[in-house]
Amino acid sequence: MAEITLFHYIPKKTIIHQMDGRLKLVCMILFTMAAGFARNLYDLAILTSVLFMIYMAAGLSVKRFMIELKYFFILAGIIIGAHSFTVPGTAIPGFPIQRITWEGLNSGLLLSWRLIVMIFIGAIMTGTTSLLQFKNAVEWFLRPLPFIPEARVATMFSLTFVLIPLILDQISEMMDAQKSRCIDGRKDPVTRILFLVRPLLFHAFMRAEEIVQAMESRCYSEIRTKPKFKSTLNDWLVLAFSIFICFIIWVD
Amino acid sequence: MAILEIQHLSHVFPNGTIALDDVNLSVESGEFIVIAGANGSGKTVLLRHMNGLLSPTSGKVLLEGVPITKDLNHARRKIGLIFQNSDNQIVGQIVSEDVAFGPENLNLPREQVDKLVQETLEAVGLSELASEQTYTLSGGQKKRLAVAGVLAMRPQIIAFDEPFVALDYEGVVQVLSQIVALHKKGHTIILVTHDLDKVLAHANRLIIMEKGRIVKDGDPGWLIDEVEKYGIKKPYGGRRVGTMTWLK
Repeated sequence: MAEITLFHYIPKKTIIHQMDGRLKLVCMILFTMAAGFARNLYDLAILTSVLFMIYMAAGLSVKRFMIELKYFFILAGIIIGAHSFTVPGTAIPGFPIQRITWEGLNSGLLLSWRLIVMIFIGAIMTGTTSLLQFKNAVEWFLRPLPFIPEARVATMFSLTFVLIPLILDQISEMMDAQKSRCIDGRKDPVTRILFLVRPLLFHAFMRAEEIVQAMESRCYSEIRTKPKFKSTLNDWLVLAFSIFICFIIWVD
Repeated sequence: MAILEIQHLSHVFPNGTIALDDVNLSVESGEFIVIAGANGSGKTVLLRHMNGLLSPTSGKVLLEGVPITKDLNHARRKIGLIFQNSDNQIVGQIVSEDVAFGPENLNLPREQVDKLVQETLEAVGLSELASEQTYTLSGGQKKRLAVAGVLAMRPQIIAFDEPFVALDYEGVVQVLSQIVALHKKGHTIILVTHDLDKVLAHANRLIIMEKGRIVKDGDPGWLIDEVEKYGIKKPYGGRRVGTMTWLK
């Protein structure tokens, strides 16, 4: 179960992988904003083309993306269908189903495409950025903000990603253990959930206690060595390009 | 002078359970000590006191003659503790990040942290896995990573809490080789285990605990015939202590 990861880091040595995590995070935010600004399908087509080029430059697998996102494509289809039938406007001439409108189809396409683009941006970011780089970048951006203990936030961020696969494994094991004792025979879903949640919470708290002790035994402190960043000319060029694309879409 | 000394240490849990009862122990530099005892005999609680993770009800723990409570960070640097469940000790998503956790906590310069991480990963044979996600490691590799996390802080004493639990044959051999190599390099080893047949050949001292007290302390060859009285399995076949190892 721990292996189920829609967005997985794929270590490679491409320009995108080696980019400074802080600048990459800014680029991701800019592209996400651009997807939000896009008012028509042309804007989204430009953005998709650019992202596709970045995706290819990062050496990520298109096939893998398509396979992993198949359920999102189904969701996109449902959004398009729902909009086509519900948004009032001009009916599509010659189409066998009368209630479908141009405006509905356009609005459905825009919304679902925007959703896919945002997932695409997320896939590029997570596929090319290790969690360590990502954590360090978040910590760096939080540093100037008052009242936010950036080191603690970064540790929590790190621990969350360490614990998720372990907790998923534990859930899977508990479910298997309960199935082996015929839990399927119980029809009441609330009882079944309680049988899972109670021991899970108990173990989670026990584990949290143990982790705290393990961190203390390694001298945990919030005054700690700061991460080191290195940005190259390439990184700044990618950032400039991202600003340019965002600007074009915003002006359009 | 003893490197580590425990004087009249007692620990009583809030529910009244006596975990440690007037424990006295002196550890010399370079020793390899195995602590054995039935479940609930107080072995793990004793280890956690050595690392200052628990506060004693009475008594004290001295490191090089100084109470560890005077400078807990110093004590934790000098006495590394490897927990029973490595999953709970690993706090980094990436192998190298986890090894760096301790040195970063000491606020060492970045270059020194990187150097320590590289040297430590080489020492435990995990250099090739430096960029791997920690949850993808095998049980033996996770245990070695836990050792690396502690080694990066350059401890003198390394305390292992049940290091062979849930490991397959290969994992046990990997971890045991690591422990023996650390001892040969001059580290003092304190190891809590039930599995005497896996490790006792390498120890020069066996301590048996029962109901929070140290009931036997001495040469493993002298004590091996008495272990079953205290709920510890004696390896089968009347073997000599020198054969009690899983290393070839």
